[in-house]
Amino acid sequence: MSYTSVTFLAFLLGTIIVYYAVPKKIQWVVLLVASYGFYLSTGVEQVIYILATTIFTFGAGRLMQKFRDDNQAKISANDQLTKDEKRQMKKVVTRKVHTVQVIAVLVNLAVLAGVKFTNTIFRNVNELFGFFQWDASLPLVNILVPLGLSYYTFNCIGYLIDVGRGKHAAESNIGKFALFTSFFPMIVQGPLCRFSDVGEQLKQPHKLEYNNLKYGAQLILWGFFKKLVIADRVSAIVLTMFHSQYSGYTGSHVFFAVLAYSFQIYGDFSGGTDICRGAAQMLGINLPENFQRPFFATSMGDYWHRWHMSLGAWMREFVFYPVMLSKPVTRVSKFFRKRFGSHAGKIVPSVAAPFVVFFLIGIWHGITLQRIINGLYHATLISSSVALAPVFKTVTEKLKINTQCFSYRLFQMLRTFFLLAISRIITQAGTLRIALRMIKRLFTSWSWDFITGADGTIYKLGVDQKNMSILFLAIMALLVVGILQEKGVKIRESLAKQNLIFRWLMVLGLLVVVLVYGVYGPDYNAGDFIYAGH
Amino acid sequence: MEKILEILKSIRSDVDFEKEERLIDDGILDSFDVVSVIGELCDEFDITITTDMMEPENFNSAKAIHALVERILDEE
Repeated sequence: MSYTSVTFLAFLLGTIIVYYAVPKKIQWVVLLVASYGFYLSTGVEQVIYILATTIFTFGAGRLMQKFRDDNQAKISANDQLTKDEKRQMKKVVTRKVHTVQVIAVLVNLAVLAGVKFTNTIFRNVNELFGFFQWDASLPLVNILVPLGLSYYTFNCIGYLIDVGRGKHAAESNIGKFALFTSFFPMIVQGPLCRFSDVGEQLKQPHKLEYNNLKYGAQLILWGFFKKLVIADRVSAIVLTMFHSQYSGYTGSHVFFAVLAYSFQIYGDFSGGTDICRGAAQMLGINLPENFQRPFFATSMGDYWHRWHMSLGAWMREFVFYPVMLSKPVTRVSKFFRKRFGSHAGKIVPSVAAPFVVFFLIGIWHGITLQRIINGLYHATLISSSVALAPVFKTVTEKLKINTQCFSYRLFQMLRTFFLLAISRIITQAGTLRIALRMIKRLFTSWSWDFITGADGTIYKLGVDQKNMSILFLAIMALLVVGILQEKGVKIRESLAKQNLIFRWLMVLGLLVVVLVYGVYGPDYNAGDFIYAGH
Repeated sequence: MEKILEILKSIRSDVDFEKEERLIDDGILDSFDVVSVIGELCDEFDITITTDMMEPENFNSAKAIHALVERILDEE
């Protein structure tokens, strides 16, 4: 059941009606039944995976909690214990909790990697065999990749680490925990979230509030606009340009392809997220934001605070900080600081942590050379921005460049966009060789007739002149909304303050645009959200 | 407290740590600076600062860092 289908909207409406009609105490049960109903609609066999992960993670959480509670009970029952003895007992329990946590996280990761990567690894090994002309091959396994595998596994790992660290108690009700792992608005493509936030909200009773329904529905509509009017319209260009006709390209073709892909991936992923967050909001649940206008990012670091924010937050908390605080990194960092000064000490963690994080993000998108190189490309940019920060500072000071004005910010935005364009070419081109050729052409050959539309070839890439105009206007609308949001305007709240007629004109206008200009061709499958595949 | 100020100065000599109250919130210290601070604190006070203590409120000022160290020393 795709989020953009009429079936989903009917399913959501039905869930909302039942959810607010039943006694508040059992509202979570309605969500659990709805979530498993949604999950079952994708296939019965898939449920086994999520059920197994849920039961296993819940059990590990309970075990950690039991160790802690038993220890606390022992300490409370014996007031003769000295401070040293209590400390010793705590140490023993912490070790036990840590062991359970590590095993449970590793099992979760092993399932994720096993299901996602076994065939990819086998294929790569077979290619290697072929390269050396060895007469051997590993048989590919018929593994079903369950819906939302990465998302619910990451949520479970986050939960295990938080319980292990004592950030919150383990959930005692398996049904409520199962709801956290399977909640239907966030199962397909996130956002990733913490049990202490969304898990707790899901357990709470929620009363029917008009604003939640209204704002939620508006967000869903905006998500439909991004997905159906922009992403699915522009996808034809991306398909043509990245997957078939690259041989005759000039730099302007490459630039146009990257521009198209940037809007496709943003419209698809952020549109999908808006639909998820809107659906959850209608049920009184606030899911974390996943995007904050990434096109306005002024640096790569800033970009990762605006793009797929929930993955960034997860990586920061569970990979980036632990790597930076790990003994080897702090030891080497200290060595450099003592020998070469404080900036040198800072370079060590700034190199180590991004490389680990972006290598993981790279393979999370798929074990391919292009994805891994792209991950390392991002890590290199982020690390060098920290390492070279004093150089940039000196240069801008020496050249008396005003870094506080709009033109400098614009320069930073364009620079970031260009750096991202390279990254997008690396991941989207058919092979790494084609990617390098496309990047080279960006600098060597330009066809102004193509980019201005003078030779008309721009309209032969899968989107005709009329649809190109619709696309242009839709992207302009997206940018205007983005600029307003950057200026701190809360769109839905500002709209609520307008007069009735204007309000309805805007909402109905958007609805008409989605209905009339949304892409619903006969071979079009609205279910294909790009990030649902990860 | 003096030891903490000394450590902070050794890592970022350009910041007035006695006055600043929003070191993290205002982006004066970035996460890489915080890691350097943590490394020094652990050595100086023989304590362990774990990832879950990397919250902005623990590092927003010299006073907050002092309170964190005191708390850990007390618990350990």
